[in-house]
Amino acid sequence: MRSPVLRVRNVAWRASTVPVLEHVSFDVAPGELVAVMGRNGAGKSTLLDIIAGLRSPTEGAVILAERPLDEWAAIARARMLAHLPQSLRADLSMRAEALVLMGRYAHAARWFESDEDRQVAQEAMQRCECLEFRRRTLATLSGGERQRVFLAACLAQQGRVLLLDEPATFLDVDQQLQCFSVLRAEAERGTACLVVTHDVNLALTFCTRVIILAERGVARDLATESALDDPAWLHVFSQRLTVDQGASRPWVRYE
Amino acid sequence: MLMKPYPVVSWLGGSALLFVAAAVLLPLAGPSALDWGHVWQRQEPDWSILTNLRLSRTLLGLFAGGALALAGSLFQSMLRDALATPYTLGVSTAASLGAVIAIAFDWHMVAGVVGIWAGALTGAGLILLVVMGAATRGGQLSSSSLLLAGIAINSVCAALILLVHGLTGMSQSFAISRWLIGGLDAIERPTLLIYVAAVVGTGLLIVRQGRQWNLLAVGEAWAATRGAQVRRALVQGYLAGSILAAATVALTGPIGFVGLVVPHLLRARLGGDDRLLMPCAFLLGGVLLASCDALGRVLLAPAEIPAGAITAFIGGPHLIWVVRRGGTR
Repeated sequence: MRSPVLRVRNVAWRASTVPVLEHVSFDVAPGELVAVMGRNGAGKSTLLDIIAGLRSPTEGAVILAERPLDEWAAIARARMLAHLPQSLRADLSMRAEALVLMGRYAHAARWFESDEDRQVAQEAMQRCECLEFRRRTLATLSGGERQRVFLAACLAQQGRVLLLDEPATFLDVDQQLQCFSVLRAEAERGTACLVVTHDVNLALTFCTRVIILAERGVARDLATESALDDPAWLHVFSQRLTVDQGASRPWVRYE
Repeated sequence: MLMKPYPVVSWLGGSALLFVAAAVLLPLAGPSALDWGHVWQRQEPDWSILTNLRLSRTLLGLFAGGALALAGSLFQSMLRDALATPYTLGVSTAASLGAVIAIAFDWHMVAGVVGIWAGALTGAGLILLVVMGAATRGGQLSSSSLLLAGIAINSVCAALILLVHGLTGMSQSFAISRWLIGGLDAIERPTLLIYVAAVVGTGLLIVRQGRQWNLLAVGEAWAATRGAQVRRALVQGYLAGSILAAATVALTGPIGFVGLVVPHLLRARLGGDDRLLMPCAFLLGGVLLASCDALGRVLLAPAEIPAGAITAFIGGPHLIWVVRRGGTR
């Protein structure tokens, strides 16, 4: 395994006095696509926010490329790490291409983006299959189309770490598959990706590793291949999940 | 290839052209006809009416309208609120309160400055600190806390204005009512120069950060993880917008709707990129206010309709239209 680009070291976070996360530690290497899972309120988004630098951990530290996160200047950090928040406003009056070009904020020093910035943004839009509505205003796009544009902006940022907070939750099945295919391809290019999702099968199909948060900490940290050998972890989510070993590949079923 | 941002040159050039045309043509409009032979030979009173009265008033209108429209578009992006105006964050209402107190107590001059201006700037400065303090929690500042603090302070100041207004005598009360409509008057050249310098300087600082306002318009977490320093940006934006609003209110009174209408109309045409929207809003906002003022000078001549009343006539229906469409953003 390649040396990790991201280390989460003994991180804790409290909302005033209520502990939300305690003793969270794991490393992520380039090329990994990690599903961060857990029940509602398990602290998945909080964890992603801490890694993105949006919240400071109460204890512990996040180390990005051998340097503690709080020592990175905002602009240098943005060249290393991109984050897609869970919900963004839908009524934006800018064009799709302008939003994707925002991903180049940390790269372009000038008032307007360079030809290289435009080239990178265009490629990102192609990969997310949203180039055809580059001239449309975001407010006129459907939820799925908009999400592809936001994802393209994150890819255009060209970070080594990509954090996505439920990128596929409001998408139809085909769009979900498309979204995770793009993430898988991005990971194969050497980006370390962490994606929060509730869809167990989607995680098992596309991700290389599953981290399950429960009881304020990391309950399981499994490579996807070994995740199906011991399905006990499924009960973190619900007692009504079982693994269907009869299918050509193991599959999680609802009862 | 993605498009080079926008028809920047044509929009900026067109707006600048209108701005200059307004500065040249609008001083020609007025209740009394000028004798051009006299003007040409610089004879009084025609020469003074044109240069001292009408030109300075037109320039004030151009820069005041520009300042309000720019502050409006800034606050709309920064607060992610389609109905934000330069008055949303309380500073201008506080400036009005200061001015109203100065009128009520007949402070004509305070420390060598016209009492109304001194009152307005003092009120704005004090409230700036109050809102900033109220909005900061645990060292954190967010646009929603800024908005809430601003709206709360706004209503307190508005109530105090009513109180002061109600307690004053007849003549002051009339002066207060007239001032609260907002309008343009000729001002002396040194004051105009200081005002223009402040507006242009602050305006350039704001426009230079256009990409930062674009990021904030999407969201604070979005801006932060694209590499913007959100807290610094909010403080910068709040201070810069407040300087524009307070200086303008001090000189013209609270002229409404320019700060709301102009950015909205432009956003519908240009899209939401502040790098282009802001300079255009500045230039065309100036043209709108100066034109409204010129209209007010000639419409019922020799009586004058204050520019604030004309912009409200245009702005009120526009606001209804915006609300009925559910906001343009």
